[in-house]
Amino acid sequence: MSADILSFIIFLPAVVAFGLMITTKNVEAVRNIAFLTTTVVLALVLKLYLQFEPSAGMQFVTNTSWISSFGINYYIGLDGFSLTILMMIAILIPTSYLLLWEGRTKGYWINLLLVQTGVTGSLLALDVVLFYFFWEVMLLPVFLLIGIYGFGDKVFTTIKVTVYTMAGSLLMFVAILYLGVTFNAEFGHWSFQYTDLMKITTLSYDEKIWLFLAFLAAFAIKIPIFPLHTWIMETYKNAPTGAVFLLSSIMAKLGVYAIVRFMIPIFPDIYVEFSTWFVVFGLFGLIYFGIAALMQDDIKRMFAYSSASHLSLISAGIFSLNEFGINGALYLIIAHAIATGALFLLVGIIHDETGTKSIKKLGGLAKTAPIFTVIFAVMLFANIGLPGTNGFVSELLIIFGIYEFNHTLGYISALTVIIGASYMLWMFQRAILQNRDGESLNMRDLKIKEILGLTPWIILVFIMGIYPDIFIDKFEPTVTHYINDILKIGVMK
Amino acid sequence: MNQLIFLMPILTVLVASIILMLLSMYDRFSTKYFIALSSVFLIIALGFSVATFTDEYSITVYSDIFNNVLIFDSFSNFFTILLIAGTLLTILIGEHYFLHRKYFKGEFFTILMFALFGMILLGNANELVTAFIALEIASFSIYVMVGYNSDDNKRVEAIFKYLVLGSFIGAFYLLGTVLIYGATQTTNLTEISTYISTHSGNDLALVYIGITLILFTFLFKIAAFPFQSWLLDVYRGAPMIITAYMASVFKIAIFSFFMRVFLQDITSIIDFWDSIMYVVVILTLVFGTWLAITQKIVKRMLAASSIVHTGYLLLAFLAVGQNSQAAYATMFYLIAYLLSAIGSFGLVSHIISETSVRVTYDDFKGLSKERPYLAAMMTIFLLSLAGIPSTIGFIGKFYVFTEAIDAGFTSLAVLAIIATIISVYYYFKLIAVMYFYPANASCKSEGFNDKRVSTYAIAFIAILTVLGGIGSAIVFFIPIPGIDTMIEIAQMSVQSLMMK
Repeated sequence: MSADILSFIIFLPAVVAFGLMITTKNVEAVRNIAFLTTTVVLALVLKLYLQFEPSAGMQFVTNTSWISSFGINYYIGLDGFSLTILMMIAILIPTSYLLLWEGRTKGYWINLLLVQTGVTGSLLALDVVLFYFFWEVMLLPVFLLIGIYGFGDKVFTTIKVTVYTMAGSLLMFVAILYLGVTFNAEFGHWSFQYTDLMKITTLSYDEKIWLFLAFLAAFAIKIPIFPLHTWIMETYKNAPTGAVFLLSSIMAKLGVYAIVRFMIPIFPDIYVEFSTWFVVFGLFGLIYFGIAALMQDDIKRMFAYSSASHLSLISAGIFSLNEFGINGALYLIIAHAIATGALFLLVGIIHDETGTKSIKKLGGLAKTAPIFTVIFAVMLFANIGLPGTNGFVSELLIIFGIYEFNHTLGYISALTVIIGASYMLWMFQRAILQNRDGESLNMRDLKIKEILGLTPWIILVFIMGIYPDIFIDKFEPTVTHYINDILKIGVMK
Repeated sequence: MNQLIFLMPILTVLVASIILMLLSMYDRFSTKYFIALSSVFLIIALGFSVATFTDEYSITVYSDIFNNVLIFDSFSNFFTILLIAGTLLTILIGEHYFLHRKYFKGEFFTILMFALFGMILLGNANELVTAFIALEIASFSIYVMVGYNSDDNKRVEAIFKYLVLGSFIGAFYLLGTVLIYGATQTTNLTEISTYISTHSGNDLALVYIGITLILFTFLFKIAAFPFQSWLLDVYRGAPMIITAYMASVFKIAIFSFFMRVFLQDITSIIDFWDSIMYVVVILTLVFGTWLAITQKIVKRMLAASSIVHTGYLLLAFLAVGQNSQAAYATMFYLIAYLLSAIGSFGLVSHIISETSVRVTYDDFKGLSKERPYLAAMMTIFLLSLAGIPSTIGFIGKFYVFTEAIDAGFTSLAVLAIIATIISVYYYFKLIAVMYFYPANASCKSEGFNDKRVSTYAIAFIAILTVLGGIGSAIVFFIPIPGIDTMIEIAQMSVQSLMMK
C-alpha cells in the first residue's frame, strides 16, 4: 500500500486533467476540481512526510518492470532529499492556484495539473529512463502555457525555450543510452537504475567527461547556469505568471536535484575533479546576473535575473563538496522556491491590475495596497536573506560551505547578500514605496483568498528561518550518505 | 493444403484486385462501395496472415511449382501484416479524401491492391528477379497513383520525375543482378549465400559490384542520400493520401526485402559496405534536416522529414553489421514510423480533403480552436515523429540509438540526436502554429463533419501511438500488447531468417 501512494501522487493530477479535458466546459468547475486535486495531493504528501523515517535509504519504493527487454523499470522511491522537495511542490502548487484564481481558461488549469504530474514523476523516478520520460513530458504543458497564454512574441519564445531545453535533454538521452550500453557490456544484462549505473567500472576517463557534460547540459540549461541562460530572459518576460512560477520555482530546482541525484553517484570522481570550475561558474553567474538585475526596468525581468543569480548560488553550493554547502543548497532550493514563487505571482497581480511591469512607471503601490506591500516585503527579505527568514539560513550555510571549500571563493560568495539587497531594495523603494508624480496607479489590495494562499508560505519562511533543524533533520542523513558513502567512496574507486 | 494457408494473404489481395478491376467497369458501384469492399478484402487477408503468425517458421511453399523463388517465414509474415494493416489504414483514413475527389474511381482501388500485391510479393521473394518483378509491380502501381490527381498540374512533373528516375535506377538493379549471375550462375538468394560462404577474394569481386548496384536501388527507393532529390517534388505532386502511403507503407516494403538480403544472405560480407553506409547515413540526416527546416508547406516539411527518418532507419540498418540485435530495432522503428507517418500525413489529407487551403504553416493557424480533437491528434503524431517520451516514436528512437551505440557508432548516434534536436524545431513550429494563433479567416471551412470513418481511423492510430509509448506496464489494467510484446515479435521474426 505504501508503495502505491507515490504512484497515486504522481498520476492523480494527470488523470484528473484528462478527465476534465473531455468532460466539462465549465471553467469554474475545472478550476475548483483542479484545486481540489492539488489539495488531495498535498494531504497525501503530508501523510508521507509524517510517516517518513529520517534515514539515508529509499522509502516507499515501487519497482516493477516496464520495458523488460531493456531492463527499464518503473522504479520510484523517496529519500529525505526528494521528500523535502516533494513537500515544497505539494505546498506551492495548490496555494499558487489561489493567486492565479481570476480569469484563466480551462486549458490553463489542465496544463497546470499536467505539469504537476511531470514534475512529481521526475522527482521520484529512480530509473534514468523513467526520469527522462517525465523530464520531457513535463515540458509540453509549459510549452502550451507559454504559447497560448503568453505575451509579446510568444511563439518565438516557446520555440526557443523548447528547442533549447530539449537540446540539453537529448544530449543527456545519448549519455543515458551510452551508460546503459556500457552496463550491458560489463554485466551482461540491461539496467537503467541509477544504483546499477553507479557500479560501472569500465568507462574511460574521457568517456566519463563527455557523459558528465551531456548530463550537465540538460540540468544546467534548466537551472540555468551561466552561460546557458539565454533562454530565460524572453521566457520570463513573455510567459504567463503561472508558467514563470513553475519554471523558476519548481523546474529549475529539479535541475539542481537531478545533479545531486544522478550525477554525484554516477560520476563521483569527475564531480570532485571539476567542482572548482563549477563553483567558480556559479559565483560568476551570481555576480553577473546580480548586476544585470540591477539594471532592469521591467520588474519581471529583474526577478528573472535575481532568480538566476540565486540559482547560481545554489549550484555553487551543490558543487562545494561538503555538508554545509549541499545542505544549504537544498535549503535554499526550498527558500528560493517560496520567495521567488511568491514574488512572481505578486508581480503577476501587479501586471494584471496596473497593466505595466516597468519599475519607472510603478510607484506608490503601498498606499492603496498595504497588505500586498507587507507580504511583498516579507518575500523580498526572505529572498535577500534577512536573519530570521529561511533565506538567511540557507545562504549562510552555502557561504560556510564554499568558504570551507576554498576561502577566497567563500569571500566572493558573501557578495551575494550585498548585491541581492541592493537591487531588491532599490526596486522596492522605487516601485512600491515612493509616490509617483501625476495620477496614481489604482492597485487593488490582495483578496482574502490570495492572502490565505500566501499565508502558508509566510509561515514557512519564518519557521524555516527560526527552527531550521526540523527540516534539515529530514534530509541531513541523505546528504551525509551522499557525501560519505557515495562521493568519498566513489572517488577512491 | 497446409502450405496453401501461407499463400492465402497474398492470394486474397490478388483476387481482390482482380474482382475490383472487374467491378470498376460498372458505374453503379460508388466509390464508397469500393472503399468498403477493399476494406473487407484487406481484413480477410489480415486475418489469414495473423492466423499463420504462430511460432517461428521458414517454409518454401510448393517448392516444385515455384522453384524456391518464394519463401514464407515469420519475417515475411511480420511485414505482410504491417503492409496489409498499413494499406487498410490508408483506405480508412483516406475515406473522406477519396469521396471528395471525383477522380478517385473504382480503378484506383484496383491499383492500390496491385501495389499491395507487389509489396507482399517483394517481402516473400527469395530470388533476385522475382524481387525485381515484385518491386516493379509495386512501383508501377505507385507511379500511376502519383499521377492520379487530374486537377493538379504538378502531377505531370511528379509522375514524370518518379517514373524516369525509378526506371533508370531499376536498370541498376538489373545490371547488379546480371553481374551476380555472372559470378554465381544463380539468382536464388540461398544459393548466392552458399556461393559467398564458399568463395573469397577475386571470385567475389562481381558479387560486390552487383550488390553495390542493388544497394543503389534500395537507397533510391527509400530516398536516402544521394538519391533523395526526387522525393520533395513527387510527394508534393501526388495526392496527399498517396504521399502518406508512399512515405509509410511503401518504405516498409522496400525494407522487407533488403533486410532479408542483408541479414540472411550476404551477412558474412556486409562489413564491406559499412564505410559507404556510414557516409550515406550522415548525409541523409544532414540533407533531410536541412530540407525540412527550409520548407514552408506542411506537406513538404513532412516529406523532407521522412528523409531524416530514413536516416534513423539506415543508422539501425548499419548497426546490424556489428550487432544483429539492431535488426529488431529497425523493425520496431518501422512500426513506430508507420504509425506516426501514416497518422500525420493521413491527418493532413483528412483536413485538406474538403478544401485545399491548408497548405502552408500559416494555413494551420488556429486549428486547435476549430478542430480541437484533430489538432490534438496531429500533436500526438508530431511528438511521436520528434521522439518525445510517451509516444511510440520515443521507444523507436530509444531502441535505434541504443543499438547504434552498442554497435560502436556513438558519433553517428550523436549526429542523429542533433538531427532530432533540430526536428523539434520544425515539428513544434507546426504545433505552435495550431495552438497559439487565431484562425485565418480564409481557412475556415464550415460544416466540416468530424464524425467520419477517417476521423475514427486517425483516432485509432493516435491511441496506438500513445499506448505504444507508454506500454501496458504503467497502464496495468489495459490488456494490449505492450512494448515488450512488440519487441519480442520483432525478435522472433528476425530469428526465423536464421532458420535454414
